Amino acid sequence: MQQNIVARVIAGLKAAGVSVVCYLPDSLFKELYPALDQDPDIRTIQVTNEGEGAAICGGLFLSGKRAALIMENSGLRASIEPLARMGMGAGIPVVMLMSYRGDLGENNWWAIPHGMTMEPLLEAMRIPYRVVDREDDIERSIQDAFHWSYAAYYHSAIALTGALVR
Amino acid sequence: MKRYDCMERLGALLKNELVILSLGASVDEWYNAAPHMRAASLFQQQLGCVTPQAFGLAVGLPHRRVVSLDTDGGMMFNLGILGTLANEQPRNLLIVVWDNECYQSIGGPPTHTAKGRVDIARIAQGAGIEQAYTVRDLDAFAAHCRMGLAADVPYLVVAKVEASVQPGIRRKHSDGREDKYIFVRHVEATEGITIMGPSEHN
Repeated sequence: MQQNIVARVIAGLKAAGVSVVCYLPDSLFKELYPALDQDPDIRTIQVTNEGEGAAICGGLFLSGKRAALIMENSGLRASIEPLARMGMGAGIPVVMLMSYRGDLGENNWWAIPHGMTMEPLLEAMRIPYRVVDREDDIERSIQDAFHWSYAAYYHSAIALTGALVR
Repeated sequence: MKRYDCMERLGALLKNELVILSLGASVDEWYNAAPHMRAASLFQQQLGCVTPQAFGLAVGLPHRRVVSLDTDGGMMFNLGILGTLANEQPRNLLIVVWDNECYQSIGGPPTHTAKGRVDIARIAQGAGIEQAYTVRDLDAFAAHCRMGLAADVPYLVVAKVEASVQPGIRRKHSDGREDKYIFVRHVEATEGITIMGPSEHN
């Protein structure tokens, strides 16, 4: 991930009012995590699995702070249980920013399942999402996700792919 | 030691705190044992989510004391949060784990703590939460809650309780969605903030 893309993501998060990020590091967003850690306006919380991060983000929503869950898209699978309970059961939203492992262009066999499962799982969970592959769309897409989630009180997701992450 | 009796002792210590609690019969018990805390308590049916949610709330409101009422089954479902709490060291979070050694709400099959080998307080200590204790009597429970509510490090109390439910208590009628609105409006009113505001006109 190039530094100009990192800067766009952080600008989008700030424009959306995000002050806390929960993450589990992954390789495609490798450069993003230390940049978030160093940003004075954003508190980062590194979690042990993405489901834990989703639940922490849910608690942050209840506090009035805006949070984002940042992860590889495999983390969606680890997050389904808390997402279903919080979102469908109580209307507590989580906004997710994911790297799109397993999209066309993937060259690791172990990442193929991430691509095969991400969009069907998002659809099964009725989570609206946008796959972003243009730099100019990053900031607007992150803000759109927050606008939607704070109108619907339900989860939304942005997946970055293509040249944005490779 | 009965969970309901513990709840009455804990409830007597609470005033301005916020509480997130686990599923099952403990929901109705807390609803009755601490009626003054109903609006300040988020009643959630979410195994494994309770302490992470409470931590998120504590991060967002660092000036406010947050209490997580978790369970043995719920904590064992997501032990990773203990490591995260150890690293993050929230200064305003008390975690109570009701350890009745069974999944009470589905009829009482044993949890992992039932055989006497699994010790959640020692797991927490190993994860890096130094203030983690197991208590077996009411006075010790109340004393640790008092210390945990004043601590500036994460504080965890495992309360070994009987697998019984307080008889004759009133059932809570609201669902998770209504509970969330009640809780959010309470946080908004007491913090002077807006969490769920009006829609835009456009």
